Amino acid sequence: MAKPAAAPGSTGPETPPDDSLYVSRKLFVRSTSGYFANWRWILVWFTQILYYGLPWLTWNDRQAVLLHLTERKFYIFGWVFWPQDVFYLAILLIISAYALFFFTAIAGRLWCGYACPQTVYTEIFMWLEEKIEGDHNKRRKLDAAPMDGRKFRLRATKYAVWGLVALWTGFTFVAYFSPLEELLQSARSLSFGPWETFWILFYGAFTFAFAGVMREQVCLYMCPYARFQGVMFDPDTLVITYDESRGEPRGTRKKGVDPASVGKGDCIDCGICVQVCPTGIDIRKGLQYECIGCAACVDACDQVMDKMNYPRGLIRYSTENALKKKWGKKDILTHIARPRTLIYGGLLALICLAMVYGLATRSDLRVDIIRDRATLAREVADGAIENVYRLQVINMVEHPRDISLSVSGLDGIRIDGEHVVTLPAATTETVTVQVRVPSDAASPGSHDIFFEVGVTDAGDTTVVRERTTFILPR
Amino acid sequence: MLKWILILWPSFLVAGIAEVLFFTIIDPQELYLLGEPVEFSKIATYSIGFFGFWLVCAASSLTTLFLQRGPEELNRR
Repeated sequence: MAKPAAAPGSTGPETPPDDSLYVSRKLFVRSTSGYFANWRWILVWFTQILYYGLPWLTWNDRQAVLLHLTERKFYIFGWVFWPQDVFYLAILLIISAYALFFFTAIAGRLWCGYACPQTVYTEIFMWLEEKIEGDHNKRRKLDAAPMDGRKFRLRATKYAVWGLVALWTGFTFVAYFSPLEELLQSARSLSFGPWETFWILFYGAFTFAFAGVMREQVCLYMCPYARFQGVMFDPDTLVITYDESRGEPRGTRKKGVDPASVGKGDCIDCGICVQVCPTGIDIRKGLQYECIGCAACVDACDQVMDKMNYPRGLIRYSTENALKKKWGKKDILTHIARPRTLIYGGLLALICLAMVYGLATRSDLRVDIIRDRATLAREVADGAIENVYRLQVINMVEHPRDISLSVSGLDGIRIDGEHVVTLPAATTETVTVQVRVPSDAASPGSHDIFFEVGVTDAGDTTVVRERTTFILPR
Repeated sequence: MLKWILILWPSFLVAGIAEVLFFTIIDPQELYLLGEPVEFSKIATYSIGFFGFWLVCAASSLTTLFLQRGPEELNRR
């Protein structure tokens, strides 16, 4: 069995035993407070209000965000997307990728440290754990203690509370794909469909396992992004850095002692930076692939520096170049604009503009023309030649519309029968159309003709013109 | 345990992508099963589709792991 590869230059985790997911040791992470912890909590609140809240919003008398799998329509606020709109999904994925490149080039693993669901749910689950079982020391003791009434009660409470959060998360997940109103009705009578039940439990179990049990193991061994993020870093990328020249030689000393007077650096070797690290690494060994950039060690070290009356920032966001060349904040900031970030940023802006343009100019009436496969052409009673077409018309707005059909491109061309059709709101209608042309209108063979589908409602001038071919037999 | 994660996890990720691509392009109601139109509900078809993809991808991961054992490991048997 291959060992998980550590990034080049890193010391890597302790070698994992082959048969265990749990590699080095169980972590009892000490909680932090401070500037970056606040930012992480702001992101937890922001992302989770969004995630848990969105399915409850209504828009146009329906769920505002609903990726309706059974109807094969995605409702997103004012828009309705059809499978034909997969183009926008592709653009959205490209935007996400470039945003990731861009932010990583500027300040490392911002996504991982602050916004990744894995980080966010781990944060929530650890907060609950601390409320129930106590701080990291108490948790370590409890873990080592033999099972008794108290331990059983604490563990049971923790798993029950985690379970509730996980179930709610699973329920919310399903509510993005299946209308919330129907789900709530099923919930009242506890009669979910078999697949709904399955997916609620499946997603809930994943949340529970990832955020409660596996935690940093997911980042270390399962996340593909952690493995290639290194290629987006350069010497001007802001990363969590231990200032070795300032900190070393590390060692203990009494409070308020001038480090120079005892021949030591600023690091008092308290080890708190290691205790707060969610992946259990020692940032003082340098940049490692395990570091998710959460900045917990920055907050922790700053508090220690405050107590010692030393300047803050022994561990801080800095760049390789800044450390080497003793740059200040201003130099670091001016180096954010560099070819790599400008190219990523420029492309990102361009693609975003293309997306906005595409959405703004998106036609809300779409016509696909399919020639009838059974007969290419036939002669009808009055000597005219008839071709049959199936028009698939998609009404993309959420109210019914009347459309009229017309055809042009050959002398005497006309539609036989009904010209006006009513399209229900947000649906695809198939209209079969017989087109007739006098047999002497053109030479035998295939000729381009044009369908014009126009909305006839007042104040709506949408017209779609589509090309197809008309076949005259020999 | 690590072996199972290496088989099940990458295949899970790829199955997710395959699922989205496949069912974006193909409507479950256009599928035929042994000559008969598929009559499951769409949610059921999507779900079965996902696990089908997962199974196929896991088989591929399993084969990769099986073939990447070194000579040392093979000779030991």
